[in-house]
Amino acid sequence: MVLEATMICIDNSEWMRNGDYPPNRFQAQADAISLICGAKTQSNPENTVGVLTMAGKGVRVLVTPTSDLGKILACMHGLEIGGEMNLAAGIQVAQLALKHRQNKKQQQRIILFAGSPIGYEKKVLELIGKKLKKNSVALDIVNFGEEDGEKSEKIEALLSAVNNNDSSHIVHVAPGPSALSDVLISTPIFTGDGEGGSGFAAAGGVSGLDFGVDPNVDPELALALRVSMEEERARQEAAAKKAAEEATKQETGEGQSAPQDATMTESATSIPEKKTNDLMDDENALLQQALAMSMDDPSSSAVVRDTDMLDASADDHDLQLALQLSVEDRAVDQSNQTDVNKLLADQSFVSSILASLPGVDPNDPHVKDLLASMQNQSEKEDEDKGSKDEDKK
Amino acid sequence: MSGESASVIPRNQVDLVEFVDWSSVECLNQSGTHSLPNALKQGYREDEGLHLESDADEQLLIYIPFNQVIKLHSIAIKGPEEEGPKTVKLFVNREHMGFSNVNDYPPSDTAIFSEDNLTGKTVVVKYVKFQNVRSLTIFIEENQSGSETTKVQKIILYGTTVETTDMKGLKKIEDH
Repeated sequence: MVLEATMICIDNSEWMRNGDYPPNRFQAQADAISLICGAKTQSNPENTVGVLTMAGKGVRVLVTPTSDLGKILACMHGLEIGGEMNLAAGIQVAQLALKHRQNKKQQQRIILFAGSPIGYEKKVLELIGKKLKKNSVALDIVNFGEEDGEKSEKIEALLSAVNNNDSSHIVHVAPGPSALSDVLISTPIFTGDGEGGSGFAAAGGVSGLDFGVDPNVDPELALALRVSMEEERARQEAAAKKAAEEATKQETGEGQSAPQDATMTESATSIPEKKTNDLMDDENALLQQALAMSMDDPSSSAVVRDTDMLDASADDHDLQLALQLSVEDRAVDQSNQTDVNKLLADQSFVSSILASLPGVDPNDPHVKDLLASMQNQSEKEDEDKGSKDEDKK
Repeated sequence: MSGESASVIPRNQVDLVEFVDWSSVECLNQSGTHSLPNALKQGYREDEGLHLESDADEQLLIYIPFNQVIKLHSIAIKGPEEEGPKTVKLFVNREHMGFSNVNDYPPSDTAIFSEDNLTGKTVVVKYVKFQNVRSLTIFIEENQSGSETTKVQKIILYGTTVETTDMKGLKKIEDH
């Protein structure tokens, strides 16, 4: 979708009366030009196209670069054949017209229909080409009509002088039954350096039919469809992310970084890494419940949660894998925790530890009180959990 | 003017590269592989291997718009001895010039670079003509030896801003 301003140089000299291109050269040219204008304006709505004639009384600009297709097609009516083509002047005027284009951001391009023989020297043509290249104007040449041996050479020389990174093209069209426009359709002149412009002309254009709507026929609709597809995709991702976040909240029991994690994969992988040893800090009732469940019966609750999460996370295989891993980890964690708690609850074990600590006398009343309170606390905890279980059940 | 060189960075002047409006910078007749950012942009221009080169012939037309009004004090151009620029014409506030109309207006200033200047010494411009610069067009008319292409290693513009956004400028001077 290159933003371009194009000037089309029509050859309306006497040579165009010939009928070797059906119906006659001039008519074939006109058809091709209408198609090109259409393709250009549709590939990018901001493209402008202008038309000038090179023969007749002199070089005459029919329409300055505009994006109004109607205006361009209208000016093609009533053109007369006559005179001799003036190539150099034609290109010069085209350059001027492009120089004064309204939108300076557009790339400059000239499409030259060279039907009559060329009288200029190769050197002259090369100079013209160089000048075009210097002003960063690309040139497409349609070589048809008269062919007198030297013409091809000269035209090729012109092209190589202009060509800058393959932005300029040439097409040789031999006389024959097929229309000039048909031959041009498949060329880069039409398709604009390999983009989807061909979808316009070719009836069964394969390119660009993502949504059953040819973007060249109705670009706005195609754009709208594309945007809505992307939005839908984004929404789905967000929904899946949210579900995964909720699942991780339940699991880890800490409402800090897991829900805040930006990406789904990030949160999924961070679950296995989290240590959930600090159960005491829980304030969220829901979390405590979940913990209770998990403390009670690691395996079964894990399974329950697993199914929940599986539901939420639909088709994401990676997420499932990560979640499974984290669940396993969790189960392991739980068992560790229960072990630790049991150890703590074990009075004798605690006292033996304390004895090994310097400066602590297990027989000290303070210490004893502390131990007793700890014991009570752990008992209370169990009780609480037990009652909660009952509530739940 | 021409020929005067000042110290490495003129006092109170800042390097105007950060005020350049990169989205509208243009260079006519530059070669595809050796383009303007090679000579103008901060990191690239220090790189010895990257330079700006002309394409079809030896002339170059560089259009540099700024995102605010500046005063241009001096300009430093570094290039190789033979293919470096010789005659450089500066135009102020002329949009979208082409090679065809480059001779229609008198330049705001002309600088003839000697081989000495091409080592990157700054050349002071006619300050009075560059008080209110929105865009600068640099037209490199010919090079030192008359070779087919012109090569430019780097282009540095020194000046000040008109508005008092000089906090950045102050910092820069302290660095040096």
